[in-house]
Amino acid sequence: MTEKKFGDYIINVDNICKTFPNGVKALCNFSTNIRRAEVVVVIGPSGSGKSTFLRCLNGLEEIDSGSIIFDGIPLDDDKNNRLKIRREMGMVFQSFNLFPHMTVLENVTLAQQLVRKSSASVAKSVSMELLEKVGIEDKVASYPAQLSGGQQQRVAIARALALKPKVMLFDEATSALDPEMIGEVLDVMKTLANEGMTMICVTHELGFAREVSDWVIFMDEGRIIEGGTAEHFFSDPKEERTKGFLNQIL
Amino acid sequence: MDNGTPQSAKIGATFSKEAFFTLSKIPVKDIIAYILVVTGIIYVILRGASEQGYFWQWYRVPQFLFTMEDGTFTIGPLLEGLKITLNITWISMILTYAIGLITALLRLSDSIIGRVFARVYLEVARNTPLIVQLFFIYFVIAPILGIDRLFAAILALSLFEGAYASEIYRSGIVSLPKGQWEAAHSLGLTRFDTYRKIILPQAIRRVLPPLTSLTISLIKDSSLVSVIAVYEMTMQANAIVAETFLTFEIYFTIAAIYLFITVFLSQLVALLERKSKIYN
Repeated sequence: MTEKKFGDYIINVDNICKTFPNGVKALCNFSTNIRRAEVVVVIGPSGSGKSTFLRCLNGLEEIDSGSIIFDGIPLDDDKNNRLKIRREMGMVFQSFNLFPHMTVLENVTLAQQLVRKSSASVAKSVSMELLEKVGIEDKVASYPAQLSGGQQQRVAIARALALKPKVMLFDEATSALDPEMIGEVLDVMKTLANEGMTMICVTHELGFAREVSDWVIFMDEGRIIEGGTAEHFFSDPKEERTKGFLNQIL
Repeated sequence: MDNGTPQSAKIGATFSKEAFFTLSKIPVKDIIAYILVVTGIIYVILRGASEQGYFWQWYRVPQFLFTMEDGTFTIGPLLEGLKITLNITWISMILTYAIGLITALLRLSDSIIGRVFARVYLEVARNTPLIVQLFFIYFVIAPILGIDRLFAAILALSLFEGAYASEIYRSGIVSLPKGQWEAAHSLGLTRFDTYRKIILPQAIRRVLPPLTSLTISLIKDSSLVSVIAVYEMTMQANAIVAETFLTFEIYFTIAAIYLFITVFLSQLVALLERKSKIYN
């Protein structure tokens, strides 16, 4: 493995807690720091709080206590701060969440024009470039419903990249896909990682984690059980629960 | 192997015969049932009329629609009324859609005052009779605002139907998957842009059918404004009937005109719906 150069910390998560209204404790005294250009993979059994952690980072879920600071901006009650943070973080969802009433191209250009105030022509050329990158350039006039799951997810990645985010969040981006389509989405994610994008991925793809990640976090019951580099994590896990989990899925 | 051909041909034949009755665009059974029902209704009406000794005088109806004298075409009181009915309808329609949308957005907003206000309006407008609202607006509100009876009628209709419209919009908005909101949030779209570009375009397509029903109700309910002496079509009909005793002829005539307008409208929307289905 080539040694990657990481920058300073871009995200500081300090002691956050999140309890859902139904009483389920999703996150409990959760802390972590993420450096620029780092690829962090979060794994763990379902219900362990992985997705909640990701959704707290861009304010889709409110945290009850603790603090999240993104690139010097605190994620607090200030609406402008929230918007600023969201605009610097791209998010890719398990269920794609493309806008079904818009074409592929419109999906990708929309936020550039509304948020970045790009002109239509600039937004279009940026979008075409991104769609080419994810291999959808021949489907730009299609509607999402006319695409396969893998294609939709690649469009969703292009849509998130269109704002030139500093961080990309992947929330089980391949979990809803047919097996033969997982590869094409993971390939796009690997390309991004190699280009130095800061990424936080919640995933069940351990192969991807092993190959691409700089840091692996194993979560259970809303806490970090163990974190480490991919090599250490997979070959020499410290905690019993981590070993148990890895044995179950490997 | 020779056996195979005729057998498959036979299957094909039975299938296409089946297909003719179940899949063809002409619902034969429905048409027969429809004709039977309509014949039955007409029979009952004619029978009822003859029992009462009703004397049909259809030839006297056209003059109330229009007259042709020396080559000049003059519209009669019924069509004069229709003009007012249409005017009331389209203005109320636009107001209804606007009031409905604003109320729905208020109910879904974070503002407590907005939600309470919308809720109170909704319950009052929905749970009191339209005719009482008409009187209230005409006799109490109109003098305060200094508006004429036509505008009072439009206001009352819009406020009444707007309450129903707001519930239709709201159901359309909340029926959208949460992921649409989340995707818009994650792109840093403002709430306003999210509604304008993501939520409303989808929600409105979903609620087109109930919104059409509401518009049809609006057209028919516009006949109620005759109680505050707005000379729309039903009021004109009442006046003609009082003078001529052509009760059935005149009322059937305006019923047919209402029917024509509403069927035309629903066909128009059906066309619109077919066009907007492309993305699904």
